[in-house]
Amino acid sequence: MSVNPDYLKEEREQEWRVVLRSQKKNKERTDLVRVHMTEVDPKIRVQSNIEVNQGLSEDDAVNEAQRCLDCPNPTCITGCPVEINIPKFIKNIERREFLEAAKVLKQTSTLPAVCGRVCPQEKQCEAQCFYTLKLKKEPVAIGYLERFAADYEQKSGKMAVPEVAPAKGIKIAIIGSGPAGLTFAGEMCKRGYDVWVFEALHEIGGVLKYGIPEFRLPNSIVDVEIDILKKMGVHFETNFVVGKTATIDDLKDEGFKGFFVGSGAGLPRFMNIPGENYIGILSSNEYLTRINLMDAANPNTDTPIISGKNVAVIGGGNTAMDSVRTAKRLGAERAMIIYRRSIEEMPARVEEIKHAQEEGIEFINLANPLEYYADEKGRVKQMKVQRMELGEPDSSGRRRPVPVEGSEYLIDVDTVVVSVGVSPNPLIPSSLPDLKMTRWQTIEVDDDKLQSSIPYIFAGGDIVRGGATVILAMGDGRKAAASMDNYIQNISK
Amino acid sequence: MNLNTTYLGIPVKSPIIVGSCGLTSTAESIIELANNGAGAIVLKSIFEEEIILDFEKNVLPKVGPMDNDLEFFDYYDYQIKDEVLHKYQSLIADVKKSVDIPVIASINCISNGEWVSYAKKLEEAGADGLELNIFKLPFDIKKSSEEIEHSYIAIIERIIEKISIPLAVKISPYFTNLGEFVKRLSLSGVAGIVLFNRYYSIDFDINNEEVISGGVFSGDKDYEMPLRWISIMNQKSNCELIASTGVHTSDNVIKMLLAGAGSVQVVSALYKEGSSYLKKMNSGIKEWMSSKGYETIDSFKGNMSQTTADKPEIYERVQFMRYFSDHKH
Ligand SMILES: Cc1cc2nc3c(=O)[nH]c(=O)nc-3n(C[C@H](O)[C@H](O)[C@H](O)COP(=O)(O)OP(=O)(O)OC[C@H]3O[C@@H](n4cnc5c(N)ncnc54)[C@H](O)[C@@H]3O)c2cc1C
Ligand SMILES: Cc1cc2nc3c(=O)[nH]c(=O)nc-3n(C[C@H](O)[C@H](O)[C@H](O)COP(=O)(O)O)c2cc1C
Repeated sequence: MSVNPDYLKEEREQEWRVVLRSQKKNKERTDLVRVHMTEVDPKIRVQSNIEVNQGLSEDDAVNEAQRCLDCPNPTCITGCPVEINIPKFIKNIERREFLEAAKVLKQTSTLPAVCGRVCPQEKQCEAQCFYTLKLKKEPVAIGYLERFAADYEQKSGKMAVPEVAPAKGIKIAIIGSGPAGLTFAGEMCKRGYDVWVFEALHEIGGVLKYGIPEFRLPNSIVDVEIDILKKMGVHFETNFVVGKTATIDDLKDEGFKGFFVGSGAGLPRFMNIPGENYIGILSSNEYLTRINLMDAANPNTDTPIISGKNVAVIGGGNTAMDSVRTAKRLGAERAMIIYRRSIEEMPARVEEIKHAQEEGIEFINLANPLEYYADEKGRVKQMKVQRMELGEPDSSGRRRPVPVEGSEYLIDVDTVVVSVGVSPNPLIPSSLPDLKMTRWQTIEVDDDKLQSSIPYIFAGGDIVRGGATVILAMGDGRKAAASMDNYIQNISK
Repeated sequence: MNLNTTYLGIPVKSPIIVGSCGLTSTAESIIELANNGAGAIVLKSIFEEEIILDFEKNVLPKVGPMDNDLEFFDYYDYQIKDEVLHKYQSLIADVKKSVDIPVIASINCISNGEWVSYAKKLEEAGADGLELNIFKLPFDIKKSSEEIEHSYIAIIERIIEKISIPLAVKISPYFTNLGEFVKRLSLSGVAGIVLFNRYYSIDFDINNEEVISGGVFSGDKDYEMPLRWISIMNQKSNCELIASTGVHTSDNVIKMLLAGAGSVQVVSALYKEGSSYLKKMNSGIKEWMSSKGYETIDSFKGNMSQTTADKPEIYERVQFMRYFSDHKH
C-alpha cells in the first residue's frame, strides 16, 4: 500500500493548496509555536474517569495546521502505518474545511477519532515530520489535528454512512470485534458481503472497550463507529466464543465462505516468580476488563475489585500505564510502576508517561520483582524487588537490564497488577490443527494477503502481530478485506 | 566387593557420575548410560545465558519498525524461560520414570535473580539433586575477586533456602585463593563441590587470523589439576568433593578416590568411547581393588590425601626447582 509520489504531487498541485501555501511564508509558519492540548487538571482528573485531553478549539487547530509546511516530500506519511495523506488533511483544516479533512482521514483510516487519541505519534508520523528531522523543533501536532477533524465530524451529526454495494449473498464471519475485526467488517460490508461479527464478550470493540480506559478513550467515541457499521448492515453476535460456542468448522457448515480472525492477544502472561498466585495479584487484562466492562470498581457489584492502597503495576507499556492510572483513580495512595529498564525505554506512549507523572504515579525504574509475600489469609502484603543496572545494548539497541547483586528490598503492596505482556488465546488454533502458527502462538499469514495456511481463513491485528497498535490492526483489517474479496471472486469464478 | 559410595549424600552403585553434557540431554541416552553402569547422571544444564541470547538474537530483532510491538516482546524472555523450564521439567519426569539412578538437574546461571526460584521447580519435577554452575566469567575484569566470591555464596544461600534436595556447586579453578574459597563454599551448606568445570576454550587460526573454537574435550593429563586440589582440600572441606576434568580411565578414577574424592564426573571419555566405556571403567576399578585386596571404596578413599601423607609439603610444591634441574630428558 505504498503511496504513489505522482499522486501526492498531483494532489499538492491542486489550486487550493498552492494558494494556501502562498498565503504565508515558511518562516512565518516555522515561527509559530506548537499548540498546547488542554488537559484537565491532574488533581481533578484523578477523581473520575473524565477524558484527560480536552481536544483543540477550531482556532487552535487552524493555527496548528498553519505550521505544516505542506512539504513537497511529505516524510510524515512514511511514518504512518496506513499512509494517511497527512498534508492534505491538515491543509483542509487550515482552510477550515473540517469535514473534508475528516474525509481524507477516512480514506485510509477507519477509526481516526480513536487513532488521534491512542497512536504513538511520537514514534510514527511526528517522528518523521520535517520539524523533527530537519529543524529539530517540535513536530506539527499531527495526532491532535487528526483527533480534531474526526471529533468535528462525529459532533457535526453529519457522519456519512458509507455506501454499500448490492448484496452478494455471501456470508463472511469475523472473529473478534477489535479494531481489526471492525475495520474488516466495514470494508467487506461496503463490498456487498453479508457480514457477521462474533464477539466473545458482551461488548463490541475489543481492547478499545475493555482495555483502554475511558479517561483516554471514551467509549462513546467507539460507539459512534459501531453504530455506523450497524447501519451499514453488519450483524453482531456477542457472548459468542468461536471455538467454544461454535467452531469455525461449524460455522463453515452453516454456509460461511470466508473467515477473518481478529481475535487479538488476550491471554495474560505472568513472570512465574514465587508467590505470583497470591490473592491481590492479577493480570492487567483481568484488572482492566473487570473495571471497564464489569463495573468491578463499584463495591456493590458481583465482581468487586479491591481498590488497593498500595498498588504496584509491573511493566512499562501502555497497558501498565492504563492500569496504574486506573488504580490511582480508584483511590490508591501509592500507585507505582515497577519496570526493569529506564523510563526512557518504556514502550508506553510518551504522553501517557507524562500524564501519569503529573497524576502522582510513582515510577520505580530499574527494578524487577523477585518474589511476593502474603499475610496469613493468603493476600499479598509485600514484594521483593531487585535493583537493575543497564548493561550492554542488545540487538534492539536497548541496554540490557542486569541485576545488581545484593540490592533486593521490600515494598509494601496490597494489590499487584502484572502487565508484562499477553499472548494470543489458543482457543481458535487448538480446534484447527492445520492452521500454521508461529513460535509466539500467533497465526502465520502471507505478509501481503494476510491469508493463513487454511485458504479461507485470513487474519490480522494482534493475533498475527502479537501485540501492536490500533492503527496496525486497522490497517490489517483493510488489507485482509481486499484480499479476501479477491480470493472469493476467484474461487466463485 | 562393591563400588558403593555416595553422591551428594545419596547412595550410588558406582563412583562414576556422568557429568552435565549433551549425552545427558535426552531420556534415551540417559537410559543407555544407566544401563552401562553410571552411578548417577547430571542433566545437561539449563543455561540462563542461552535464554538471554535467544531473546536478544531471535526475539528482539522481531520488534517492528516504530517499536510497535515492543510491549509484546518486552518481557518475552520470561516466556522463553518458562518454555525452557517446562521442557526441562518434563525431561526430569521422563528420566525419573525410566532409570533408578539419581538424576541431578543442573542450572548454569549468571545472576542472582529470579533463577534462584526455579530451583524449586526442578525439585518438584523430581530431581534428586541440583548442580549449580555459576557462570561468573573469570574474565570480567571489572569485578574484584571478592565481589565474585561473594555472589557465589549469595546465590547458594538463596537456593538452599528454597530446596530440600542436596545442592552441588561446580566451579572453575580460577580463584585467587582457591583453597580458602573451597573451604568457605563447603561451609555454605552445599552437599558437594565439583572440581573443576572446564570452560569452552578458544584458539587462533593463524592463516586466516581468526578466533576459532579450541579443543572441546579434555586432555589425558588434565586430571592432574583436580587431583592435586582434591588431595589438598579433602579433609579441609565440610562436604563431598567430586573430581571433574580429565578423568578418562579407571586409573584416573582410582587416583581421585585415593586423593579423597567421593566420586568423579566423566564426560569427554564417554564422548570418545561411547557409553559402554562405563562398564570398562567400573571393571577396571574392581580389578585394581581385588589386586589390592580392597572390598569397598571407603577402605581406600582418601588414602593419599595431603593430610595423611608423610610429606605433605610435596602437594604444595609449585615450582620445579631441583626436580627440574635433575630432570635429564
Ligand atoms: C490496556 C491497553 C492499552 C493499549 N493502548 C494502546 C494505545 O495507546 N495505542 C495503540 O495504538 N494501541 C494500544 N493498545 C494495543 C491495541 O489496543 C491493540 O493492538 C489492538 O486493539 C489490537 O486489535 P485487534 O482487533 O487485533 O484485537 P482486540 O482489540 O484485542 O480485539 C479482539 C477481540 O476478539 C475477541 N475474541 C478473542 N477470541 C475470541 C473468540 N474465540 N471468539 C470470539 N471473539 C473472540 C476478544 O474478546 C476481543 O474483543 C493497547 C492495548 C491494551 C490492552
Ligand atoms: C559437549 C560438552 C557439553 C557440556 N555441557 C555442559 C553443560 O551443559 N553444563 C555443565 O555444567 N558442563 C558442561 N560440560 C562440561 C562437562 O560437564 C565437564 O565439566 C567437562 O567436560 C570436564 O570433564 P571431562 O574432562 O570429563 O570432559 C560440557 C562438556 C562437553 C564436552
